[in-house]
Amino acid sequence: MRDTTKKRIKGYEETWPPVRGDYRVCDPDAAVAVVTLTSPLVLRGAAIFGQCKTENLGVEKIVANVISNCNIRFLILCGVESKGHLPGNTILALHRNGIDEQGRIIGSGGAIPFIQNLPPEAISRFQDQVELIDCIGIEDAAQIEELIVRYSRMAKPYPSEPFQVVKRKAAHRLIAAGEGDLFFGAGVAMDTTAWIVIDESETEATIEAATEG
Amino acid sequence: MNVGGVKFGGQPGELPSVLCGTIFYQGHRIVEDEGRGIFDKKAAKRLIDRQAELSAETGCPSVLHLYARSIQAFQSYLDFIDGVWSGPFIIDSADAATRAAAAALVSEIGYADRAIYNSISLATDEAEARSIGDSEVDTAIILAYNPSEPGVDGSLAILETGGRVRAEGLLATARDLGVTNLLIDPAVLPLGSGAGSALRFSVAAKARLGLPVGSGIHNAISSWSWLSKKETAIRKGCDAAAGAMQLLSAADFLLYGPIEMADVIFPAAAMADILIAEAVRDLDIAPEGVHPLHRLV
Repeated sequence: MRDTTKKRIKGYEETWPPVRGDYRVCDPDAAVAVVTLTSPLVLRGAAIFGQCKTENLGVEKIVANVISNCNIRFLILCGVESKGHLPGNTILALHRNGIDEQGRIIGSGGAIPFIQNLPPEAISRFQDQVELIDCIGIEDAAQIEELIVRYSRMAKPYPSEPFQVVKRKAAHRLIAAGEGDLFFGAGVAMDTTAWIVIDESETEATIEAATEG
Repeated sequence: MNVGGVKFGGQPGELPSVLCGTIFYQGHRIVEDEGRGIFDKKAAKRLIDRQAELSAETGCPSVLHLYARSIQAFQSYLDFIDGVWSGPFIIDSADAATRAAAAALVSEIGYADRAIYNSISLATDEAEARSIGDSEVDTAIILAYNPSEPGVDGSLAILETGGRVRAEGLLATARDLGVTNLLIDPAVLPLGSGAGSALRFSVAAKARLGLPVGSGIHNAISSWSWLSKKETAIRKGCDAAAGAMQLLSAADFLLYGPIEMADVIFPAAAMADILIAEAVRDLDIAPEGVHPLHRLV
């Protein structure tokens, strides 16, 4: 019989972290994760640490990897902010305000701060599971490691199952066939024999005009 | 479309690809002070000259992609290129205020007709839009990034209607700001996050909008963690392959990344241009006079 107790106690699945990225895993049982923004810092004692340079996909990966490990209760933001993109500012805004109906992170100063691959429950879980420690601008590894030690002592695992973000599957869609035999979507098709790309809406309009004429 | 003497667009196989190498980018070794724009001028000239040499050798026109962290740096870079580069250039910065100030600066010093603004996108706020409208810049890259609706349809929507996140499409916004030359960039995402849809979008957008299309597909390669652990030659091979794939997918220009990559990208792009030109040879599409097909084979 399979023993599931061990899995639950650990607070994360064997395959953690579920999303690949520019990070290093140290101790998955540790309570602190660190985002070093654009600074290539190497740190000891954290569950996971790594850079984040974008205010949309990068932030999504951090949320997905953090909430899938119940041991992580603190997220330290440090290092130099990415100009224009402002991922650090965006993570703070996401944690504080969440997203609107379009997926825009409310209150972020980043260029294009949108969440597109996380369900609303994942955002709520992120807000609930971790406390953010705003050290943006600090690049002193020793100082950050002290914080890791301090906050690790204060933490207990989040009292729930790890939250697994499942990637949305693209909907299968039948594209209406026109004159072409290679279809690119959005009404555009290609006749590969003649090497002609056709906009079907234009073709239809042309046919209508010719018929009317 | 003609920008500063360089032609963009045409049917596949007709015009050579326009190749845009970036200089003074974040972390560029030749830059000593990104804020003030202090850099190694000899090294910068060598890089710009090398891109120009490869352009002359292959027949693929080139554009200088200027990246600056501040307007002071932009001023310094523009002063410098005055003596070493007479072709079109892209003005780019991660900071919207710096981009906007650069648009005003190039108008003031009479460079607006050579400048390509990078970019008009979902991130363009009112202040930036006003600066573009007030400038004499009439060429811009339009970034078709639509995070609320990923994929080809969403990217077209952000251009044409604004989709779910804008009241109007980016194309209309750009034209309202006096931008008449529009270059479409699909916004390439990382591999695994949808990079490939940029290729399909490129074909669809070129056919549907009749505008030149191109991308910085090298970003998908440079952000690929698995590849980053491989040898330099392997990484360069993937960069070249990605560029050629983008060109085969109807692109008219490539933002090929660090200008040091010119020696890798120009041959790959020239090869793609030759293959495409030969593919359409019997369809009455003749390559222009200056074309890799005429220069290299």
